[in-house]
Amino acid sequence: MLADNEVLKIENLSIAFGGLKAVDNLSFEIKKNEIFGLIGPNGAGKTTVFNCITQFYKPNDGRILFRTKEGSETNLVDHKVHEIIKLGLVRTFQNVELIRELSILDNVMIGAHIDFKATILEQALRLPRARKEEKALRAEAEEILKRLGIWERKDMLVFGQPYGILKKVEMARTLMCRPSLIILDEPAAGLNDVETLQLAQLIRTIRDEFDCAVLLVEHDMRLVMDVCDRICAISFGKFLAKDTAKEIQKNKAVQEAYLGSSEEIHHV
Amino acid sequence: MKKVNLKTPSFNLKTLSKNPYLQFILFGLVLSTLPILASQFSFIKSAYITTIGVTLIYAIAALGLNLLLGWSGLISLGTAGFMGLASYISAYLTVDMGLPFEVAILAAILVPTFIGVLVGLVSLKIEGLYLAIATLAVSEILRKTFEEFEAFTGAFSGKAASFPVLFNSIQLDRATMYYFIVFVLIIIMLITYNLVNGQMGRALNAMRGSEAAAQAMGVNLLKYRLVAFALATIFASVSGVLYVHFIRYSYPSSWTLKLSLDFLAMIVIGGVRSIYGTVLGAFIVFAVPDLFLKQIPYFSQLSYTLNGILIILVIMFYPNGIVMIFRDIKNVFLKLFKKGNGNHVS
Repeated sequence: MLADNEVLKIENLSIAFGGLKAVDNLSFEIKKNEIFGLIGPNGAGKTTVFNCITQFYKPNDGRILFRTKEGSETNLVDHKVHEIIKLGLVRTFQNVELIRELSILDNVMIGAHIDFKATILEQALRLPRARKEEKALRAEAEEILKRLGIWERKDMLVFGQPYGILKKVEMARTLMCRPSLIILDEPAAGLNDVETLQLAQLIRTIRDEFDCAVLLVEHDMRLVMDVCDRICAISFGKFLAKDTAKEIQKNKAVQEAYLGSSEEIHHV
Repeated sequence: MKKVNLKTPSFNLKTLSKNPYLQFILFGLVLSTLPILASQFSFIKSAYITTIGVTLIYAIAALGLNLLLGWSGLISLGTAGFMGLASYISAYLTVDMGLPFEVAILAAILVPTFIGVLVGLVSLKIEGLYLAIATLAVSEILRKTFEEFEAFTGAFSGKAASFPVLFNSIQLDRATMYYFIVFVLIIIMLITYNLVNGQMGRALNAMRGSEAAAQAMGVNLLKYRLVAFALATIFASVSGVLYVHFIRYSYPSSWTLKLSLDFLAMIVIGGVRSIYGTVLGAFIVFAVPDLFLKQIPYFSQLSYTLNGILIILVIMFYPNGIVMIFRDIKNVFLKLFKKGNGNHVS
C-alpha cells in the first residue's frame, strides 16, 4: 500500500543476471514533489533499478507500486514498457536520446505521443480531430519550451545543438505527458560546472512549476547533494542508507562503499 | 514604387511556400500537362507518356518504401514482389472474374497487405541485413509463384489486363489513365505528407532514432512496425494495380530483385525522408535511362552503371538525396535576395 503522500514505493526489489544479484531486496519510497537521489559507486546497480522501474527489465521479485495520474495505485511490473508513460512516469536517457533530424519542437511533441486520440486514418486525411489535437499539443509544447527558456530555438534541428540545450529538450519532452514522477538517468553526465549548476536550477524548477517528483540517478555528488531532499545509497545491489544529503555524507557505510573501509586500505 | 513591385511576387511565393497542399496540387497540374505538351510539341514524344506514367507509378511504391526505410529505419527488398502480387490479383479479378475495378483494387490491396503485415511481425525479431534477406525471400517466393501458378498468372506468357472502367461507367484509355495515375500519386503524396508530419510520423522517427526512447515515450514498437509495413505494402499494391491496368500486362520478369533495388536507389538518390525527392528519384532512376540514355549509342544498357555511380556520388556529396540540391540553390537565391534587400530576414 502506498501512503497518501507517496508517489512511488519499491518493495523488496530483486533481479539477478545469471548468478549475479544486480539488485538484492531493495526498498525505498519517493514522496510527492520530492527530489530523491539514488546513488552508489560504479556497478552498484543504480541503472538496473532504473530499468526495473521503467520496465525495460522485469524484476525477478518485489513490487513497484506507483500512484497514477488519476490517483489510483498500480504495480508497475504488470505493465509493458510503452504503457509506463501513460501512468505518469517518464524517464530521460544518459546519452540524450533525441531525433537529430527533427526540429526541437517536433522532438518535444514526441513526448505527447500518448495524448493523441486521432486514428491513423484521421491523421492521413487530416480530419478536424487530428488537426485540433496537433494544434493544442503544439501550443502546449511551445509553452513548455518557453518556460525552460529555449523557445527561440524551437524550429532549429536538434542536430548540432549544444549538449546543455539537448538536455533541456529532453526534459521538455518528458514534461509533455504531465508526469507525476520523472526519472533522470545521470543528467549531469557530460555537462561542465556552469551547466551542472543550471541543471540543478532546472530540476528545482520542474519540481516546483510542473508539480512532480524527481528521481535522480546520478554520479555527480555535488549535484545530488545540492538538489536532493533525500538520498538512498546502494552498493552491490544492496541497500546502504536512506537519509537527507547531510546525514548521508556522514554515514559510515556510505563512506566505506565509496572510499573502501579502513581495514582494506591497510591490506593494500 | 520599387517596393510595391517587389512585394507582390514575394507575397505570392510566401503563400505558396507556406501551403504544402497547394504545392502538391500544382505539382499534379504540372505533371498533367505533360501529355498535352506531348501532343502539341514534338520535344516530348507521345510514347514517352507511357514511360513517365510508369515512373509515377513506381514513385508511389517508392514512397511506401521511403516510409519504411526513411522514416522507420526498416529495410525491405520485397517491394517488387508485393507490387507484382497486387497486379496479378487485379488482372485476374477484372479479366477472369469480371469484377468491377473498385472491387479488384480493394482485394489487390488487402491480400498483399496481409502478407506485408506478417513480414512486419517478423521484423520485430530480425533487423538490418537479416530483415533485407527475409523480405527478399518473400519477394522471390512470390515471383516463383507467378512463374509456376499458371492458371492464375499465365506464367511466362504473362497476364493481360485492360484499361480500368471506373464506377462501371467511365472507360479510361491511355491518356485518361495517365491523369488517373497523376491523381492517385498526388493523393498518396498528400496522405504521406499528413502522416509523416503528424503523430505517426514522429513515432516512426522516434522508432528509427532510438527504440528505447520511443518505448519510453509510449510508442508501441509492434504497432508502428506493423503500420509501417502495412502502409508500404498498401502503396506498393496501389502501384501494382495501376501498373497492370496501364501497361496492360504483367510478367514474372517484371517483378525481380532488380526492381526492388531500383526502388531503393530511387529513395537514396532522390531523397531519404523526402516526398518530392522520392518522385525525383523515380525520374532519375527510371525515366532518365529510358528517355535519354537509350538515344545515345553504347549507353542504352548502362542504367545499372549510372545508378551505381549516382548512388556513390549522392552518398558522398548529398547524403540526404539530390533533392537537397534544390534547397542549396534556394539558399543561394535567398542570400542574393538578402544582400539586395539588406534588412530582410528569412
